[in-house]
Amino acid sequence: MKRSMKFGLQAAVLAGAIAGLSGVALAHHSFAAFDVTTEKVITGTVKKFDYTNPHTWVWIDVANDQGGVDTWGFEGMSPNYLGRRGWTRSTLKPGDKITVTFRPMKDGEKGGMWVSGKRPNGEVLMMGGAITDP
Amino acid sequence: MQIGFLAVSVVLGPFAAAQKPVRKAPTAADWTAMSKLPDFTGVWETGPGGGGGGRAGGRGAAAAKGGAPAVPVRPAGPSLTPAYAAKAQAPQPRAEENETANCLPPGMPAIMGQPYPIEILMTPGKVTIVIEAYTQVRHIFTDGRPLPEDPDPTFFGTSVGHWEGDTLVVESVGFEQTPRGLSFPYSDKMKITERFKLADPDTLSIETTISDPEALAQPYSMGARTFKRHRSWTIAEYICEENNRNFADQNGKAGIKLSNPLASPK
Repeated sequence: MKRSMKFGLQAAVLAGAIAGLSGVALAHHSFAAFDVTTEKVITGTVKKFDYTNPHTWVWIDVANDQGGVDTWGFEGMSPNYLGRRGWTRSTLKPGDKITVTFRPMKDGEKGGMWVSGKRPNGEVLMMGGAITDP
Repeated sequence: MQIGFLAVSVVLGPFAAAQKPVRKAPTAADWTAMSKLPDFTGVWETGPGGGGGGRAGGRGAAAAKGGAPAVPVRPAGPSLTPAYAAKAQAPQPRAEENETANCLPPGMPAIMGQPYPIEILMTPGKVTIVIEAYTQVRHIFTDGRPLPEDPDPTFFGTSVGHWEGDTLVVESVGFEQTPRGLSFPYSDKMKITERFKLADPDTLSIETTISDPEALAQPYSMGARTFKRHRSWTIAEYICEENNRNFADQNGKAGIKLSNPLASPK
């Protein structure tokens, strides 16, 4: 309960940040490709972390029903934005286990907009929040 | 005919050269004079407020973050002249998403309200603004030259500045019809005036007003946006084309190409 409340608070903070910054943050493109009314959760292993502009992309390998692996992609904030909030290009490394909460692609492609990530030890990785660099 | 042509050439040559402003070499006295001006130099975190958002009706007011003062400035929208009000009602092409998807930077004034910092440089006769978003630069001449009478239209216009006490007043003219510059139609007579002033030692206020004798019934005040100085910050690179997965279809509708994770450069 405690954990879920904490998560709920962080999610609310992020949602507020996104709503308040509409038209500015992440404004490189529209959100039209994402179903922002839905959040989904998926668990996999980090394949690659593109610490790139105009957006970061987290690629994770996820086991599918057929005994194989699918690669999913999640769009996040830019390195410029994240770098002032404690992230580095090594925050996510290939092989890291991660559970991603995301807003799915409307076209059914495997991916979406990163909302948060959670490591097996419970650490939550948000892409919003306060600036940590003075 | 030939004589007349020559005469025009002779007259036009030196005349054209005389009209082009020339920056004189700065002297020690010029540099000393700089020290008397308010210090706007350094890297500034873009904070909340009006101006730069480029949205009518104050929709560009941003969320408070990073300790910047939360001042929700929500000025009324612009009063358009009847002709431009009709233009605003007409169906617009979907160029905005299209251009945005292709990494084109926004024009003025929206480029001053991106969620990335700006750096201000002050040198004799010039103030330069380095904008992290899209790696852009604005050039503001403070050497006394006049605004151009017939400027070529550009994203950020042609800018001159002068000091009124501790306030740097920047006037810009000559704007392209840019994506995300403004959310209302404007003419080639539009002028953007920005007033730069320190609100406290590390808070910069930029108040933005737009005038346009053809499009606006009266000048449109977008309010003031505040910026917070971070002495430890540096401007980072932002190459939008580095890993851009956005695209626009033939209708201008933006989407995302997700199919090939290996297509990215890193």
